[in-house]
Amino acid sequence: MTNISNLSLLTMILFVMIPVSLSYLFSLGIGKSAIWSSIRGVVQLFFIGYVLTFLFSIPDWQGVGLWVAVMLVIASLQASKRGKGIPYAFLLSFSSLILIEVFVLSLWIVFDIIPFRSEQVIPMSGMIIGNSMVATGLAFERMKNEFHDSKGEILAALSLGANASQASQLIIRKTIRAAMIPNVDGLKTIGLVQLPGMMTGLILGGASPIEAIRYQIVISISIFSSVSICAMIISLVTYRFFYNRKMQLLEEKGGKK
Amino acid sequence: MVLMKQFAFKKGSSMNKLIEVENVSNERVTDVQFSLMEGSLTTIIGPSGAGKSSLLLLLNRLEDPDEGEIHFKGKKISDFPISELRRNIGMVFQQAHLFDGTVEDNLKFGPSLQKKWEPNDGIKLLEKVQLSEEFLTKEVENLSGGEQQRVAFARTLANNPEVLLLDEVTSALDMRTVDLMEELLHKLVNEEGKTILMITHDLKQAERLGSYTLFMNEGRVEEQGKTTELFYQPKSATLKHFLEG
Repeated sequence: MTNISNLSLLTMILFVMIPVSLSYLFSLGIGKSAIWSSIRGVVQLFFIGYVLTFLFSIPDWQGVGLWVAVMLVIASLQASKRGKGIPYAFLLSFSSLILIEVFVLSLWIVFDIIPFRSEQVIPMSGMIIGNSMVATGLAFERMKNEFHDSKGEILAALSLGANASQASQLIIRKTIRAAMIPNVDGLKTIGLVQLPGMMTGLILGGASPIEAIRYQIVISISIFSSVSICAMIISLVTYRFFYNRKMQLLEEKGGKK
Repeated sequence: MVLMKQFAFKKGSSMNKLIEVENVSNERVTDVQFSLMEGSLTTIIGPSGAGKSSLLLLLNRLEDPDEGEIHFKGKKISDFPISELRRNIGMVFQQAHLFDGTVEDNLKFGPSLQKKWEPNDGIKLLEKVQLSEEFLTKEVENLSGGEQQRVAFARTLANNPEVLLLDEVTSALDMRTVDLMEELLHKLVNEEGKTILMITHDLKQAERLGSYTLFMNEGRVEEQGKTTELFYQPKSATLKHFLEG
């Protein structure tokens, strides 16, 4: 693989200046934000580059343990922001993400899909945790919005004698479906519309396309399953928080007003 | 001439009190007290924001009062298993609030929870609300507003409740469907002995259907009694003013 020189990297700044100039030209008001985001992105990536170099230099169990823990905490904090108003949102996010990570990592190791090495486990776990974080956040948001939008249907179900679980089935189904659909669509067109990131990276790194595809299959299926399981856990646990013990719908929990 | 039609509902003199509401208060209703006679139709009238819908929610425990007691068949409603109470005191809302799926999916929702759904039940229920058998397999999103409301009504009837709480169920319907619904109410009370408590903004409908009427204003039941007495001999100035529109 060809090394990108510092000078070549600097020329990319010229590329950033095109949208920035357009922003000023058309008064889009995002010029400063675009510059700031680009600088931040570059610094952040270099920082992560040095962190990863360090992590890869220490024993694998330490490197993996340390960085996976950091990723889990950051992802849980981010996902729980969307669960504002739902009790234990951070704890729920953290529990479901750790469960997913342990489960997927165990599968990879036990079935000898990847070796337990920091260079392999950290980037692949990052993809699992990142996608699950988005699914968890969206599941929180979807639950809140659905309980707001479908309040009439839930009251109707309760008035017909349904308990909280039975009355919430419709919402739980919608939430899980919403989390799965983008991944189902993504799997349908995988490789046809654009080469997935991991596969691209491996091919750029010199791996053969067939070897790259094997990795891509592992990660795509792992992400699909993780995202679905996360949405299931969040919706199956959180619906209870929208009712009291007398099967009455509680006031809204930070959803749409 | 739908508006002029008078239904001969059973009068409540020899009936038992099926529901008794005693000094009930919460955020939206204050010190409400009244009884529902078994096999009667009682209408609730009053301006918007008077607490009428909130009162219905209290009767099948979709909400609970902060103070006061509600009795059903002489027993506190809080002493009934809540699902059993809600099946016995059914509710139909102003909007149909149908569940996604077919008409049959909606009709069998309540009975299926108790595994009491028989294949022919759907047809019988649709007959009651004067919809044909073909409707069973229709997706609810393809129904008109009037058809949806009739399906919602049939869905509540599927549980065979003793009491029906109706929250302005005819307000968004065309005259023909209102007529059908009123005929259905007549049958439910006179032939099946159901007890109905019905909110309506249509004063002519309240007068036409109700044996008894409650007039609610600012969270309180300001006046109650036989419908004819309330409409022709109102005691309070507020009710007189309200009836004059």
